[in-house]
Amino acid sequence: MKSTRPVTPYLFLAPALAVFGFAVLAPMLLTVGFSFTEWNGFGPMTFVGVDNYARATADAVFRDSFVHVVIYILATLVLEVALGLGLAGLLSVGRGGLWFRVAFFAPVMLPLVVVAVLWSFVYNADFGLINAGLGAIGLHDFQRVWLGDTSTALLAVSFVSGWVFAGFYMMIFYAAFRQIPNEVLEAARMDGAGEWALFRLVKVPMIRNAIAVAILLCVTGGFQGFDLFFVLTNGGPYGSTEIPTTYLVKTVFRNGDVGYGSAMAVVLTAIVLGVGFVYTRLHRPGTTA
Amino acid sequence: MRSPAKHLAALATGAVVLAAACTSAPASDNVLRIAMGSPGEAQIRVWDDVAKQFEAANPGMKVELNYQDDDLYQTIGLQNLLNGRNAPDIYFEWTGNRLAQRVKDGFAADISSKFDSGPLAGLFDDTTLDEYKIEDKIVMVPYSADVTNVLWYNKQILADAGVQPPTSWEELLAVCDTLNAAGVTPIASGNKDLWAAGNWLSHMASRVVGEDAYVSTLGGTGKFATPEWEKAFGYITELADHKCVNESANSIDDNEGAQLFFQGKAAMHPIGSWLVSWAIDEAPDLDFDYVNLPAMPDGAGNQDSVIGVQTGFVINAKSAKVDKAAEFMAMLNSDENVQKLIEAEVTPLTKSASAGQDIDSRSANLTALLNDAPAIVLPPDTGYDLEMADALYAAEAAVLGGQQTPAEALGGIDKKIGR
Amino acid sequence: MTGDARRFRTRSLPGILATGGLALLAIVFFFPMVWMVLSSFKSNSEIFRAPFALPTGIDFGRWAEAWEVGHLGSYALNSAIVTAASVFVILICGAAAAFAFSRYRFRGRGFFMSLFALGLILPLQSYFIAQSQLFTQLAITDTRLALIIPYAAMGMSLAVYLLKVYMDALPHELFEAARIDGAGDFRMFRTLAMPLLRPGLATVAIFSALAAWNEFLLALLYIQDDTLKTIPTGLLAFSSRYVTDYALLFSALSIVTIPMIVIYVVFNRHIVEGITAGSVK
Repeated sequence: MKSTRPVTPYLFLAPALAVFGFAVLAPMLLTVGFSFTEWNGFGPMTFVGVDNYARATADAVFRDSFVHVVIYILATLVLEVALGLGLAGLLSVGRGGLWFRVAFFAPVMLPLVVVAVLWSFVYNADFGLINAGLGAIGLHDFQRVWLGDTSTALLAVSFVSGWVFAGFYMMIFYAAFRQIPNEVLEAARMDGAGEWALFRLVKVPMIRNAIAVAILLCVTGGFQGFDLFFVLTNGGPYGSTEIPTTYLVKTVFRNGDVGYGSAMAVVLTAIVLGVGFVYTRLHRPGTTA
Repeated sequence: MRSPAKHLAALATGAVVLAAACTSAPASDNVLRIAMGSPGEAQIRVWDDVAKQFEAANPGMKVELNYQDDDLYQTIGLQNLLNGRNAPDIYFEWTGNRLAQRVKDGFAADISSKFDSGPLAGLFDDTTLDEYKIEDKIVMVPYSADVTNVLWYNKQILADAGVQPPTSWEELLAVCDTLNAAGVTPIASGNKDLWAAGNWLSHMASRVVGEDAYVSTLGGTGKFATPEWEKAFGYITELADHKCVNESANSIDDNEGAQLFFQGKAAMHPIGSWLVSWAIDEAPDLDFDYVNLPAMPDGAGNQDSVIGVQTGFVINAKSAKVDKAAEFMAMLNSDENVQKLIEAEVTPLTKSASAGQDIDSRSANLTALLNDAPAIVLPPDTGYDLEMADALYAAEAAVLGGQQTPAEALGGIDKKIGR
Repeated sequence: MTGDARRFRTRSLPGILATGGLALLAIVFFFPMVWMVLSSFKSNSEIFRAPFALPTGIDFGRWAEAWEVGHLGSYALNSAIVTAASVFVILICGAAAAFAFSRYRFRGRGFFMSLFALGLILPLQSYFIAQSQLFTQLAITDTRLALIIPYAAMGMSLAVYLLKVYMDALPHELFEAARIDGAGDFRMFRTLAMPLLRPGLATVAIFSALAAWNEFLLALLYIQDDTLKTIPTGLLAFSSRYVTDYALLFSALSIVTIPMIVIYVVFNRHIVEGITAGSVK
């Protein structure tokens, strides 16, 4: 459509661009700029070249934070995406509708702070629900300091994440299942397929795209995780749940090291964008239906 | 189709919402802004009360009290406030490195004159004020002196187990063993944020390496990985070996750690002088007392040293209301308000405070302990550089939790802070 | 319209098993929240001693206390103002930009579109550090604006994208006809496009509102003044002040949680549609 004046489209675009540019694009560029300096936020700024990046690669805490976040992502792929897929499958076979969806999806609506405060009580080693429950049925040996034991803390946080987001992925897959044409399913049933076979061989393959999207969301979202980790453990027992973002926040907002924090932020961004691009590239050619 | 009226209404609502959003903290000039951490409900009530008194005495002026989360305040909260818009006119600080930094950055007004002939004259002893001087200029109004860490104990539990409160290290380990055998947690610590046990263990370390070495390592550039510090950290390993501390120490914060003590689930609790008021509120039936840190065997430091810190309120040199701020502080320290502070379990440092009654005997004893201490050790996080303190606390926690050996932990500190 | 003929399935074994399995899982999932609400009616010592016992009575006294003492009203108001303002900005600016991208061809269109596409995948970490510096320099920290602007910016990409998709689906002829009638561009946007965009606007509104309402990191970094805190940071402050008064804490959490669940029940169809639309990327 032609506009009455050539400048009109730009006028419509300007407000969104202004807000977005000011609050997202410009700071992103500035962050890259800061990463080459040493600065505490209000004093003098000194240019240090790639020193911060060298420091980041040598920083054991930073490296470990990526190990932790990858473990977290793998755990959530199971606890959120796979579980969500399973739940969606059950939903599409069973009956129940709204109340099941409420039970599973309600946690998604909550601020993660609420979830974290609630679960830090559930996990409390001395008074919490889990240890109390285990004790009540005589399983004292299984009691742990869930958030204080280096071998359980990371998984404990991942589990909470699963509790929150399994419902979200369930909704995505459920919506995708509903798109599957009835005839396909009826045909398979006529051929004698049971529900489990139907799920495995028909439904899941047919929503391949949604699954791909879900995996991408889970992975890129996982790298950016913060809220739960901050409130539950904040780096956790002896740094065993330190993830890139909590470390970043500590570096910049506790120690005032803006330059180094920016360099780490750039590295994290590069990894997230890289994973995203590689993934979409892998999936473009293979897309069907 | 929507009518123009509806459009206008929608836009107007939007504008109002935006406007409401924009006008949050009006930058008017007759607001006295005071910033501090979270001192607890009782103290907050006193401050709110004094604020009202001030507003009544100064019509047209408002007092704005900003109580920040303690941890935030200590790290970047105060920094942000001071460097931002509507910086506080009065703010809470600890003596030591931090105060020196404030002076250096130009945020601490020289208020010596206020004590000579101004509104604050006659409220404090000269010896008290000495601690609050940097380069001979008074830069802070004294508030309280806290003993940062002593070993509190539950009289009933110790009596039931047939043990005395420990005064030496060997006694401490023996008490731990006895209590463990009786199925009681010997020591409760809520060390999720690392400073609770950190202060205790740092004090202990200072007893072993000596006050001079403590000051020079923490305040200087020397390495932590040295034989003396390894010896000091070796005692932390002994604590771990004897299972002195609750298993959950690293996953519960200081409040929850105190709760274990209040609930009678642990016999002892190493924490500061602020426990008194809190315990009286939360656990009025708890019969408790304290001992200073037990003497370390073969230590280079003074075995009666006390870890403590003076706190006070600084008047912002960049404030336009220095005089009014001084008047407020004078009002806060009036005899009447000092009594209220005492009731809120603060131990004010005014002359009138020592003359007053109603202080819990334990608080009074602690004040005496600090005043009469042959040596005072400053806590790492308020007396020295915060990044170093974090690394030190983390190392101590790792050794306490059996995660690292002393050598590993100390080497880790050096690596983290580049020594 | 359902993906499978559920009406034939409900009586069969797989159907019953599935429903049973779902019920069990739903109970497990919902249990923590139910427990939290029930515990808010107990006293602290009851919670410690007998965590699984039912409360002896339903007393909303602690809820009222949590609301008062914990300034929940203030936090909720701040959240509401910030959310409403950012959603308002997102809808207006997003729809306008979507209109530009959808209805016009102009120089740089592809470039600007890819900028917004970048915004869809750019992580918060890539800009929040510099953003906080910027806000500090401009002295807007500790104001609601410090949250409204980022929330609006962060929601802009998705809004532009989704609304463009909706806008593309509108028939050409409508606009041609309006043009022939002599309508100016702005008129067309306001009176033609916007009303037709209502379902899209509703979806964007719901998602941006949810994101803004629950946002934590920026709220934590930018707002220290307790009177301006939103619910997430306010609750965190509340929990550290009353960390051991679990009954009070659970009361506060319940007060925050229950409305969210009610909202979900009320708006659940919109939310499902939104997720469906969004995931068909």
